[in-house]
Amino acid sequence: MDSEQVLGLFKKVTSGTIIEITILIGAAVALIWFFEKMLPWLAERLHSRRRLLVLAMIPTIRILVFIVAIIWIVPLLIEPTIQNMIAILGAAGVAIGFALKDYVSSLLAGIVAAYEMPYRPGDWIEVNGTYGEVRHIGTRVVTIVTPDDTVVFIPHLKLWRELIHNANNHDANLMCVTNFYLDPDHNPEQVCRVLEDVALSSPYINLTNPLLVLLDEKPWGTHYRIKAYPMDPRQQFQFISDLTARGKQCLRELRIKFARVSTDYTVVQNQK
Amino acid sequence: MADSNPWQVVTIDEFKRPSAPTVTRVHQRWQRVLRLFSRQEIEPEEEKTNDEELPDNSEFNRKPAVTALDHYFEEWLEKKETTVCFLLDPPFSGTADIARDWAKQKKWKLVTPPDINEIMTVDIDSWWKKQRIKGKWLIDDLAVYLVRTADGLSFIRALLPHMLHGDFGQGLVTCDSWMFEFIQRIWQSRLPRVYCFDAAGVELLKHTGIHASDNSLRKLAARVRGNLGVAKAVWLLEKNKDRKLPALPNDANDLTAFVLYSILLHRSLRFDLLKDILSMFSSEKLNAQLLRLEQFGILQYKDDQWRIDIVAYPAVRDFLSSRDFLIDAF
Repeated sequence: MDSEQVLGLFKKVTSGTIIEITILIGAAVALIWFFEKMLPWLAERLHSRRRLLVLAMIPTIRILVFIVAIIWIVPLLIEPTIQNMIAILGAAGVAIGFALKDYVSSLLAGIVAAYEMPYRPGDWIEVNGTYGEVRHIGTRVVTIVTPDDTVVFIPHLKLWRELIHNANNHDANLMCVTNFYLDPDHNPEQVCRVLEDVALSSPYINLTNPLLVLLDEKPWGTHYRIKAYPMDPRQQFQFISDLTARGKQCLRELRIKFARVSTDYTVVQNQK
Repeated sequence: MADSNPWQVVTIDEFKRPSAPTVTRVHQRWQRVLRLFSRQEIEPEEEKTNDEELPDNSEFNRKPAVTALDHYFEEWLEKKETTVCFLLDPPFSGTADIARDWAKQKKWKLVTPPDINEIMTVDIDSWWKKQRIKGKWLIDDLAVYLVRTADGLSFIRALLPHMLHGDFGQGLVTCDSWMFEFIQRIWQSRLPRVYCFDAAGVELLKHTGIHASDNSLRKLAARVRGNLGVAKAVWLLEKNKDRKLPALPNDANDLTAFVLYSILLHRSLRFDLLKDILSMFSSEKLNAQLLRLEQFGILQYKDDQWRIDIVAYPAVRDFLSSRDFLIDAF
């Protein structure tokens, strides 16, 4: 394709076209900026599923604005015929294949993410061992904030190869598991009842969701798990702390001993 | 007879909240949106003087309500079964007072609630023996039979099977509607024979001395979800143009919600008991929260107990509902 053919793809650009495109880009950027500021502000004034619903609107609105802007701008520059589109896509394909493969892959994964929604703002996800709350879904990366307030940028590219663990899957129900490790010599029925009452009396618990106390016999003792839901996913760590502290106190009052892993068991485990 | 009585007893499944006119519903939603966007803090009201105190919500003629109760339970009483019926008492509705009047009229014995030690030790048999009840009985407030702590739930768990099996004979249990939802959660199934008074509508509001146009009364009944006590209090407050319904502070947070839910669940709480229920929070934080809510007219401190102010109840219910708390059926 020589330079004359390339130039033939484009329309004649006048100063009016440039002004129109500038205004369109400006309006799109302003609109996206407005929604990215306003919706999180509004979400902070809401709770549980209403908050998540508002946060989930941000990436969808951004993509919609982006698509509308593209549909508006492209015909101003290019005559949208089949030949022209094939020529442009071919040229773009070569450039992407050589130089921008990963970048474009992330962009495409970002579009797939907006459609498949493996994560949305407000979700608690784990990717490659990093756990945190999704704060922002950009065009190329998803930004999460870990419980230790560290911001982690994960390229959407990970979507193709990594396992994405979503703890609350777009709603306010995030199951928390609180562990207790007890000496095996005790009455399990009594312990289950006590741990259930500990959970039912927690101010954080969402009483409309199920509550389970499970036990599992191990070589070193009995492993108890309280599975329950806090009212808001952001309360998960306070909820687990509350259950752990009050659960331990109640078990101590019942004179139930906590498990201690014997030296022999530790040695056997280390040898494995 | 019962048809002309504005008071009606219904099963919990038959209860229907009065519906607001569409204009009122739209207005209420618009107000909610405005509150969401408003950053302006509503100034707490000046201290109320004694002559501004609102009258007690139970100040209405309870005789027709007692008659309605009598009429509804006629058949059940004749059967001489050893069953127990539950009568739900939405906060400030005055249902417990009506049940007490009815029991007094029937010469039923009022059961003395267990003290905190009896609740913790779960000694049902000795507590019941102390009652010396041979015939029929009334529990006027089941909410005081448990404390929402890890060791405060066992008593009600042990008591319910006794009552439902008829070990204590025939009786009526009045229970706060919020606590009833919580008890059903502990019990993990629906309790049988649950009744309540039907929602207060235009006729009942007029009957209890609220004089306004039918449309205004319909709007009022819908706003207070058919709760007569709250309707009276709101109507009296709004008659006085200088006073507004209290609103929660803009910085209301998780602790605000926990404090309000705990107080509402137990109807009223002493500070030491509230401290036991919310044991993960320091006394200083709890005190600061209580005083701030009192300043905003949400809580009242009376006789060593913290309770929700009657006119603040709709705002508190709305607030807890928006945070997915287990709310009552009313």
